[in-house]
Amino acid sequence: MNNLGSKITSWIAQLVAIAIMGQTLYFKFSGAEESTRLFAELGMEPEGRLIIGILELVACILLIIPSSITFGAMLGSALMTGAIIGHFTQLGWEGERFQLGMLAVVVLVACSIILYTRRYTIPLLGAALQGRENQ
Amino acid sequence: MTGKLVVNLHKLARFTNIAIPLLTGLFFLAGLRISFYFHFITVAFIFLTALNAFYRFGQKGHSLLRNFGILGQGRYILESIGPELRQYLFLNDTEERPFNRNERSEVYRKAQDINSASSFGSQKNFDSTEVKVRHALFPIRKKDLKPSNVTFGEERGCPNPYTLKRPFIISAMSFGALGERAVRTFARGAKQAGILMNTGEGGYPKYHLEEGCDLIFQMGTAKFGVRDDEGRLDDQKLRDLVANDSIKMVEIKFSQGAKPGKGGLLPKEKITDEISALRGVRKGEDVVSPPSHAECVDIESAVSFISHVQEVSQLPVGIKLCMGISSEFRGLVSEMKRQNAFPDWITIDGSEGGSGAAPKSFMDRVGIPLFPGLKRANNILTELGVRNRLKIVASGKLVGPGRQMIALCLGADVICSARGYMLAAGCIQAMQCGSNTCPIGITTHDPDLQRGLDIDLKATRIKNYVDNLEHDIEELLCSTGCRSISELSFDHLYVPKDSTLHAYVTKPN
Ligand SMILES: Cc1cc2nc3c(=O)[nH]c(=O)nc-3n(C[C@H](O)[C@H](O)[C@H](O)COP(=O)(O)O)c2cc1C
Repeated sequence: MNNLGSKITSWIAQLVAIAIMGQTLYFKFSGAEESTRLFAELGMEPEGRLIIGILELVACILLIIPSSITFGAMLGSALMTGAIIGHFTQLGWEGERFQLGMLAVVVLVACSIILYTRRYTIPLLGAALQGRENQ
Repeated sequence: MTGKLVVNLHKLARFTNIAIPLLTGLFFLAGLRISFYFHFITVAFIFLTALNAFYRFGQKGHSLLRNFGILGQGRYILESIGPELRQYLFLNDTEERPFNRNERSEVYRKAQDINSASSFGSQKNFDSTEVKVRHALFPIRKKDLKPSNVTFGEERGCPNPYTLKRPFIISAMSFGALGERAVRTFARGAKQAGILMNTGEGGYPKYHLEEGCDLIFQMGTAKFGVRDDEGRLDDQKLRDLVANDSIKMVEIKFSQGAKPGKGGLLPKEKITDEISALRGVRKGEDVVSPPSHAECVDIESAVSFISHVQEVSQLPVGIKLCMGISSEFRGLVSEMKRQNAFPDWITIDGSEGGSGAAPKSFMDRVGIPLFPGLKRANNILTELGVRNRLKIVASGKLVGPGRQMIALCLGADVICSARGYMLAAGCIQAMQCGSNTCPIGITTHDPDLQRGLDIDLKATRIKNYVDNLEHDIEELLCSTGCRSISELSFDHLYVPKDSTLHAYVTKPN
């Protein structure tokens, strides 16, 4: 995280992740029809919808506060992995579902980019990575 | 055959390494068949599997992680919190180094002006290594003490002698090693206490001058602030600098106890734009000063250089060194005698001295500790009949009145300390001076960390610390029956058989 380039890359990725996750929050919390249908299919209506919504909100906040960006990206990538599992196992990729699934993939990629640029600050892993590069 | 009760960690690790991916699969199935909620665990285990795979196959730096995977991580986690656990819980009051809890809390109490009477008994060792001060049968009263003025430069008739009213100096710490607020704290404290502060080898003393305390300008081997392009002394720059009223004396650094034989070191983490400008060095690289002054190649040139600096600055000029080979020191003093040119003082720094950053091998293994070094230096000066031509300043863990008193008995005129004042300003001995992460904001340039240091409050603590040190030294003096520091001598010490000083005992104890 010392050069400007990777700092800018990380912030762009953060904004992308926040924008996508944040925009779906509204549908999750307001119980929009499409959203409730999705979670009903997963057998998680309504608690699961709210839990995931809250976790996404937390991830967005962590992604904004400079000292917690790494944690936000970790949480974000975990949530998106779950979403992608959902698409593969139950929701499928047809029609609108494809768009939704791809958004999850985009957020996952964004979070991975953030984690890569800040890899030395990842708990546990960071120290080992540093050790590898100093060999 | 007795069975071993301890867990075979290697077997356990092999089990975990298979169990983690297996469980990942199981939770995935559970998420698929039973409830999607199981995927919360699935996801966690996917990440755990990836982390474990990386430890086992992706990295080579840590053998333990390569063999044991995340199970091995437990060891590193425990190890990393070890120092804190030991400091807070497991080490007793007299065990820590460099300063144990007793020594630190004595400084804290003095700085906060809290009564430092102890109860029940001493925690010190009374065995054959501990030096003690001998008291007189008829102690004197404080009003009978002579004032403890020390005038630097009086011996040689220096045109601008300097009189220090209390025998304490804040030892060299550069702006660079210290952050801006720490420099201001020490400078303001020195001003309130009416003592001297040494600038350290950090170049132009910008913040020190703003605070207006009396200063010793230290000329390190790199001569930051007064160097020409080749790293030699630029006379004009020195003249301009000492034209500042606050600069009362100049100290030429030959060596420092924590790293004698090596030049100063400022890690790149601590080089800000401002510091690179003040020192004239590049950012992003460690700054390593040369091990010696370009002008000083042998004892002859070294002595001439000292008198040259005296000539140019017209101020008292001293040298700082850690004792090494005694015959060399004898040679140096003999040469001073031959040229009839003496520094106005010599600072003897013990090898137990501190540093913002020094190679561990040098900190641990090079140089003579303060007490034997000081005694040796004082003896050589006395034997050559020139002890009255200069003052001796001593430093090296002299943070409490006990050790200070011993140093005074060994021949020191003035007590100098760096870490004593750091502790007084709130240092908790986190031992991170070199990494710019000082948790209480003294040796860091990070504004967030420096924020913790309240300059006015901590300056008062410095003053309290000096007041209370002086109080204790005066009381100790009274107990010995001496009326001033200069009357103290080696005979005022009880030196038991196993002390490093025992070699100097001539009369039976
Ligand atoms: C943070 C720090 C910075 C120091 N910087 C210098 C320096 O620039 N020049 C120098 O001669 N000594 C330097 N020293 C050494 C001290 O001046 C002193 O000689 C040594 O720490 C012994 O005193 P003490 O045991 O009371 O700390 C530094 C010490 C510390 C702890």
